[in-house]
Amino acid sequence: MNVLIVEDEKSLALEMDEFLSKEGFIVEHAWKKSSAEEKIFVNSYDFILLDLGLPDGDGFDILKQLKSTKDRDDAVIILTARSAVDDRIKGLDEGADDYLPKPFSLNELLARMHAITRRKHKLEKNEINVHDFLLNIQNRTVAFGEERLNLTKKEFEIFNYLVLNKNRVVSRMSLTEHVWGDILEVNSDSNFVDVHVKNLRKKLAALSPTDWFETVRSIGYRINC
Amino acid sequence: MKLQVKFSLYNAVTKIAIILVLGAIILFSLDRLAYNQLDNRLIKKKNKIIEHLNDDEIDSLLNKQQSFTDYNILKEEFIVLTDIPDSQQDSSAKVFTEKREIEGDIEVYRILNYKFSYHTNWYNLEIGETMTTLQSIKNSIRFYMLIVLVAALLITLVADFTFSNFLLKPFYLIIDKKINLVDDPSHYNYQNIPTSTNDFKILDNSINSLMRKINTLFALEKQFIANVSHELLTPISILSTRFENMLNTPDIPVEHENKIYASLKTLNRLKLIINSLLLISKVENNQYLKTEEISLKQEITDIHEDLEDRIIDKNITYQANLAKDFHFTGNKALIHTLLINIINNAIKYNVEGGSITITDKTEAENYILTISDTGTGMSTELVENAFDRFKRGNSEENGFGLGLAIVQSIAKFHKIMVDVKSIEHAGTSISLIF
Repeated sequence: MNVLIVEDEKSLALEMDEFLSKEGFIVEHAWKKSSAEEKIFVNSYDFILLDLGLPDGDGFDILKQLKSTKDRDDAVIILTARSAVDDRIKGLDEGADDYLPKPFSLNELLARMHAITRRKHKLEKNEINVHDFLLNIQNRTVAFGEERLNLTKKEFEIFNYLVLNKNRVVSRMSLTEHVWGDILEVNSDSNFVDVHVKNLRKKLAALSPTDWFETVRSIGYRINC
Repeated sequence: MKLQVKFSLYNAVTKIAIILVLGAIILFSLDRLAYNQLDNRLIKKKNKIIEHLNDDEIDSLLNKQQSFTDYNILKEEFIVLTDIPDSQQDSSAKVFTEKREIEGDIEVYRILNYKFSYHTNWYNLEIGETMTTLQSIKNSIRFYMLIVLVAALLITLVADFTFSNFLLKPFYLIIDKKINLVDDPSHYNYQNIPTSTNDFKILDNSINSLMRKINTLFALEKQFIANVSHELLTPISILSTRFENMLNTPDIPVEHENKIYASLKTLNRLKLIINSLLLISKVENNQYLKTEEISLKQEITDIHEDLEDRIIDKNITYQANLAKDFHFTGNKALIHTLLINIINNAIKYNVEGGSITITDKTEAENYILTISDTGTGMSTELVENAFDRFKRGNSEENGFGLGLAIVQSIAKFHKIMVDVKSIEHAGTSISLIF
């Protein structure tokens, strides 16, 4: 899948590039509105990660133009540090698929991209297989063979988020923010998430060994596949 | 008291005073006038009698008697002629008012008493005229005057009120439309209120220009907030993505990994502080809409679901018994933030195995929601400073004292009063008064 990063802050774009390339995405950059428009005109992308405040214009214009073009199905995620209240609503109204305020966690970005992919390609099955555990994202259930696991809402969220970010470390911080949202809570590194992970692991381990479900030192967790 | 009412009252009082003074003068002079008239008539009658007097008449009048009395049927006037001893000095006439009894009826009369000599004989002539007519005239004049007074008063009151209403209408329009109804400067209507009164025009224009200034400042502040957030949050996002990438690099030494993660946490803290400050600024800058229908009960249920694990983790007894499903219009996300801050504090500062009670009541048209905990509580001094930014409850590591500042600004934005009662080591209860 190919991604266009429209971002005037080069170092940020390069970090995103590094991360997404490792995930197997083909990444292109545009630093300005004009070059972004050129690229979008020539190629179609699976994802356009769009910054709003560009040196030569507003990212909204790119979005508007793209959405008024026929037969374009590029998914757009707005990434912005401009914190005007109505930007989010405006962005989604204009047809953006998601809106992620900066600073965001790369794990979160990846999870959102996966979610959009599933939404866009409805034909693809909504199930992910992780070591014989079957996650149904639509129904938010996990099954092991015939047996259905009785997970709480938060346990499912955690499992899902870790699976979407498989093979990479997901910090407690990122996990907390994803599950509980940004509730202006400073102690996001608290052990609440550990309690849920412990319970989740117990439920999984009751059915099958979970050595693939790793605790990464003091940082967080990783699911290896 | 409204200006218009004051004007009308003042007018009414002065008019009553003027009418009362005039009335008193008229009544007094009327009295004098009536007496004069009566006296003159009596004197004229006397003169007529004296003029036509002759021996025969006196004889026939007295008819060999000592005295002659005559009166008309209704006893309105009478005449008495009496033969009196011949040792009188002067022949003066006196006029006085006296009660007289005629055939059993006592009435007040104006009486002319005249002693005169006629052919060496002295006679006393008394002519009386009843005062009852005069009294009744006076009474009716008084009565009509009262009616006129009351009518005049009512008419002027109504006229004054109507006129001042017309005159002051632009003023009240200015007050209503430009001061009372304006809670958000961005929705201010600059259109002038039509008036021919210069003073009101000046008032209107000055309010307009003040509003323009405020609006400019608000717009500048909005711009500033947007810039600040962009300038601060962009470097943070560069750093945090960089650290995240570093953490995912294979084979980095553990101590470095820990330091990177610690840096990421610090950055996150910075982000939260900036976001909190931006939130407060945006709320105070009126950047949020207040158009959503919010059910307080639903919000509390949602928050309980969100925080349930923390409540269970601390073994807290949670009770939310809301009698009323209170609905109001506001910003859902902000109200959620407000409540979650309060309830999360109630959990955070609670003791192991404590309790949180959420109750409501309606008092004097206000809906009051109270969230009480059995936590560590705050000293009186801390309660006073609770809403100050950067002052932190107790000295715990968590929390930057912005939680309550956020609560305060959101509450203010929604015109909700916040009342904090706290007893140290016993608990805190926060009331939201809608």
